[in-house]
Amino acid sequence: MELPHVKLELSGAEISGNLDERNPPICLPNQPSDASLLALDIGGTLIKLVYFSGGNEGNEQIGSGNATPGGELRFVKFERRRLGDCLEFIKSKKLIHDSGIITGLSNGHVAIKATGGGAYKFADVFKEKLGVSLDKLDEMDSVVAGANFLLKKIPGESFTHMDGKRTPIEINQKNLFPYLLVNIGSGVGIIKVTGNKIFERVTGTHIGGGTIFGLAKLLTGCTSYDDFLKLSQQGDNLVLDLIVKDICGELACQKQGLSASTLASSFGKVIDSKRKLSDYRAEDLATTLLSAFTYNIAQISFLVAALLGLKRVFFGGSYIRGHASTMDNISYAIDYWSKGQMQAIFLRHEGFLGALGALMSYENLDVDDLTLEDVKEQVKLVNHLDLFTIHL
Amino acid sequence: MAGSPNNSNEIDNKEENLRECNKEEEAVKEMAPGSSAPIHRSSSRPQLDVSGAAIQGNFEERNPTILLPNQSDDISHLALDIGGSLIKLVYFSRHEEQSLDDKRRRSIKKRFGISNGSRRSYPILGGRLHFVKFETGKLNECLDFISSKQLHLGGLDSPSWRSGTRPEDNAIIIKATGGGAYKFADVFKERLGVSLDKEDEMDCLVAGANFLLKAIRHEAFTHMEGQKEFVQIDHNDLFPYLLVNVGSGVSIIKVDGDGKFQRVSGTNVGGGTYWGLGRLLTKCKSFDELLELSQQGDNSNVDMLVGDIYGGMDYSKIGLSASTIASSFGKTISESKELLDYRPEDISLSLLRMISYNIGQISYLNALRYGLKRIFFGGFFIRGHAYTMDTISFAVHFWSKGQAQAMFLRHEGFLGALGAFMSYEEHGLDVLRAHQLVERFPMGAPYVGGKIHGPPLGDLNEKISWMEKFVQKGTEITAPVPMAPPGTTGVGGFDRPSSRGNTLRSDASAALNIGVLHLVPTLEVFPLLADPKMYEPNTIDLSDHSELEFWFMVLSEHLPDLVDKAVASEGGTDDAKRRGDAFARAFSAHLARLMEEPAAYGKLGLANLLELREECLREFQFVDAYITIKQRENEASLAVLPDLLIELDSMNEEERLLALIEGVLAANIFDWGSRACVDLYHEGTIIEIYRMSRKKMQRPWRVDDFDMFKKRMLGCGDKKPPPHRRALLFVDNSGADVVLGMLPLARELLRRGTEVFLVANSLPALNDVTANELPEIVAEAAKHCDILRKAAEAGGLLVDAMVSVEHGLVDNSASVPLMVVENGCGSPCIDFRQVSSELAAAARGADLIILEGMGRALHTNFNARFRCDALKLAMMKNQRLAEKLFNGNLYDCVCRFEPAGEQQQHNFS
Repeated sequence: MELPHVKLELSGAEISGNLDERNPPICLPNQPSDASLLALDIGGTLIKLVYFSGGNEGNEQIGSGNATPGGELRFVKFERRRLGDCLEFIKSKKLIHDSGIITGLSNGHVAIKATGGGAYKFADVFKEKLGVSLDKLDEMDSVVAGANFLLKKIPGESFTHMDGKRTPIEINQKNLFPYLLVNIGSGVGIIKVTGNKIFERVTGTHIGGGTIFGLAKLLTGCTSYDDFLKLSQQGDNLVLDLIVKDICGELACQKQGLSASTLASSFGKVIDSKRKLSDYRAEDLATTLLSAFTYNIAQISFLVAALLGLKRVFFGGSYIRGHASTMDNISYAIDYWSKGQMQAIFLRHEGFLGALGALMSYENLDVDDLTLEDVKEQVKLVNHLDLFTIHL
Repeated sequence: MAGSPNNSNEIDNKEENLRECNKEEEAVKEMAPGSSAPIHRSSSRPQLDVSGAAIQGNFEERNPTILLPNQSDDISHLALDIGGSLIKLVYFSRHEEQSLDDKRRRSIKKRFGISNGSRRSYPILGGRLHFVKFETGKLNECLDFISSKQLHLGGLDSPSWRSGTRPEDNAIIIKATGGGAYKFADVFKERLGVSLDKEDEMDCLVAGANFLLKAIRHEAFTHMEGQKEFVQIDHNDLFPYLLVNVGSGVSIIKVDGDGKFQRVSGTNVGGGTYWGLGRLLTKCKSFDELLELSQQGDNSNVDMLVGDIYGGMDYSKIGLSASTIASSFGKTISESKELLDYRPEDISLSLLRMISYNIGQISYLNALRYGLKRIFFGGFFIRGHAYTMDTISFAVHFWSKGQAQAMFLRHEGFLGALGAFMSYEEHGLDVLRAHQLVERFPMGAPYVGGKIHGPPLGDLNEKISWMEKFVQKGTEITAPVPMAPPGTTGVGGFDRPSSRGNTLRSDASAALNIGVLHLVPTLEVFPLLADPKMYEPNTIDLSDHSELEFWFMVLSEHLPDLVDKAVASEGGTDDAKRRGDAFARAFSAHLARLMEEPAAYGKLGLANLLELREECLREFQFVDAYITIKQRENEASLAVLPDLLIELDSMNEEERLLALIEGVLAANIFDWGSRACVDLYHEGTIIEIYRMSRKKMQRPWRVDDFDMFKKRMLGCGDKKPPPHRRALLFVDNSGADVVLGMLPLARELLRRGTEVFLVANSLPALNDVTANELPEIVAEAAKHCDILRKAAEAGGLLVDAMVSVEHGLVDNSASVPLMVVENGCGSPCIDFRQVSSELAAAARGADLIILEGMGRALHTNFNARFRCDALKLAMMKNQRLAEKLFNGNLYDCVCRFEPAGEQQQHNFS
């Protein structure tokens, strides 16, 4: 069967929605609206979907190939353990059909682009339930492609976040490379990006979002990461954390040039306390937990950036969640260790780098094929309540 | 307590101590070998002498002279590190070299112009550096200890020893560091009347580490999968290094030199985070319990591994294997389990790896950032914990892809206290060199490592009764010696997430024992070593577990016989029997401890192991276990010496040289250290055995450089090479070995005009002849031989019979001198990095050294190279070593000649 060849048309991509919205849809004004576009990033904890929704959603005439152009990229997440929901979502949205843009056939099956470890693990499930093959893409390739696309093509994508204050950053795309990309998933991947497809996974750490959430579940019994983040905002870290003053007294701190309030040991106060887990407030536990490991991720990122001589560190991944203290902690630590010489930068689509990168691989599109002139400086207000839903 | 169990609880008052001392002196007098020895006339020979300061180790523990603070030889320093859980004390007790010299020594000193320590601009204090720990919760015990030893009155900076009085208004100042130095300052003031001078913690940490890394030869070690390996660090190439102190939090310090360092980084995720989270997540009551638990854990139940994400596959593109931890605790997210559904063992292991790998990573990144080769880890998270050392080591190895190694320090727990000690202005430690330090372990009271407190062991009696109890109660500790090689636990592996190997190693094994550091300014590096830096005394590497097992067996088998000899040497009294019993138990326990943790007492070589036995004997006050045997054999051998000399003199020079070397080899068969030979003894008389042994001397020997040696001695054709100027003959056993073997060889050298120094042990070891026994033997031999007599006279050896050296050296141009020097050792082996100053002085003019016997020529120094001609002679009395060294057999002979400055092939046949 011959498939109609429909191009992935990213020219004119821009963020729909207001500036503070997280993972806002990206408007693709020149994409044929009846195109079917779906890419997946099946990570350790979450399944991230990016799909194209034509302007004429609800219109059953899909695949006619001559619909009016225009539509948006939408971003959806599912917990990995709720794979069934995800499959259902794909079915209900009719994201897979044998016409449209999908470019490849694998042994007679429609193939969709997928990345992340789960693309290997769940390939059979997709085949069985949806009758599609997963065209497995390398995770790093995808993350980097997604980041490069966002940083180069989507105005207003990146921002800094210090002391609760969010400041958009304009990236001069000629001056983008090299940069450090820290992808905070369950674990953390740290990648040096020197060009569109030129990058190197420098290192990583096993202490990532999965660690924070996992420990949070065990310590506080919270069931969602967002609940945990909310808890953390009402806690006092001094209940559990040992600060420098606790150890050597105010006087010695001054002598050593240490600030008395410097965090010396996360959870360190627990050692000398008789209190049991149930004696601690979940809020305090959450605050301590979040700061312990966000500082740690930032510190390792700083060390790697310092070793590589990089000044800009971009943080992505699905555990940032646009959460103010998470970003503040990271920014503070980067600023502290670099003595103000480095900047932590965040992305509005932080959690969808891999999925976006997978999407970009249709047609093997190179973002440099696009030129800046294609991007319109116009914010289109689109209100789709279901555009961004985290099914947790 | 890891270091010195004998003194931690010693809270005797002054009077008791003094009384005890007197008792001890009496005991020593009673047991002095001289009093009953027919050929040993010098009954005034002190038991604690110059070299004795180095090797008589543990007398100090009972020695109360420390109570006299105003005497110059009893000055002590004290410094404290008062931490949250432990108080660490470092104190120094000075031991002046004993001035009681015998005539032999005076003559040697006069000849070489040795006056103790005078070659230096100011004298280094000889003495002992003690390391003692107390639990902070038991502060009173610590105060009692200080008070009983009057340590606080001896500080050099204190006015008390300068003026002899203690002005009321001028408090004594003791250097201290650690948080408790602030907290407990008032208690110290009140109880002891001393002020604590608080030193910066990090200054102390660095100063302590710098001292240890420079002064102690094998202070640093690596720890991979339970295996410790000591690393010798060239102190000229020490800086810069990274010091990572893992306490509650982590401090990362870059050290550039003495007093030059910078805190470059640190992390809030440290030991406190591990233990804090561990307490919250498990029901563990102690840090140790939590760690112990981790060893039964399987972190794959908690951690998300790469394989979990990739369906069991590796992410090979970036080199991550399926068992790599992708996300610590990541697996708990997607499961609907609660905390109680997880095994605490699994949680503990996940936590341990999470924190350790993170510390390893951050440390490594910092090392990279500052271009540092070495990373040393310390702090309570590390201290004595095999598991954390393993995981940190693994992490550094993993992150650096094998390019960097984590290292740890043996005296790690005492860095702060040592540093505080160094902050006294005149501590005298900074000029010390590694060769002047000898570490001694309390032999009388072995116990499982890692414990803070040993039993209160005041005197020998207590030691004995403790050993008796120890064996009764503690058989389970000593008896089941783990014979499986350690190191298979695999705690460190990302690649082995289930963490356990076949044998479960106790974590406590990592708590290395800390001994007393004896500062012996008179010890020197043997000046004739070709390459002192590369010199390694031990021929066989005991880190090969099967070697250790073998020696464990040899020593264990030999033990009953040794105890018999020791008890008999003191008349078989009930007291001797009781001490013999206690000795056997103590030594067995040491062996068991070493089997469990070969690194317990630092780098272990065969020389150390054999010396340990002698130390242990001395500790139970067996002064000379083989004294009777030595005397009997000396007498028997001296009786046949005249006939042997006549026989030798009837030969021509060439025949004689061969006969002499054969004689040395044959006579070396007499060795009470060798099982094979002990069996022989039961079958015949000394002379029978000697003659039988001579008959078997068929050349070529297994290692046979005789022709080369002969050529050097006699030349070939008409060309006669000049004789050696001075020869050092390192003698081995008493009896036939020295009398019928080495003495005739010495005589030949003297006859040729070569000065001869007989080099012997300072203290007894097995049946080895000692330096103070030799003059008597020589005197006896000289009665029948003019050559020996003249030479001995010239060397001032025949002091009683002839001219007193008090009036100057005898001018006897007719003969080159024969002299005796002590080597500074009390072991059957010799470590040329630490010899007596008189041997070092004698060596400066020597151009030939002859090492005789297994201990000094095979077990140690077989591969040693010297800057002068060296002849190594020994009869092989150990089948295993024979096979290992040259595929040989029992009773093979070794005659290895190495001309000065030449590396050459030996004739192995």
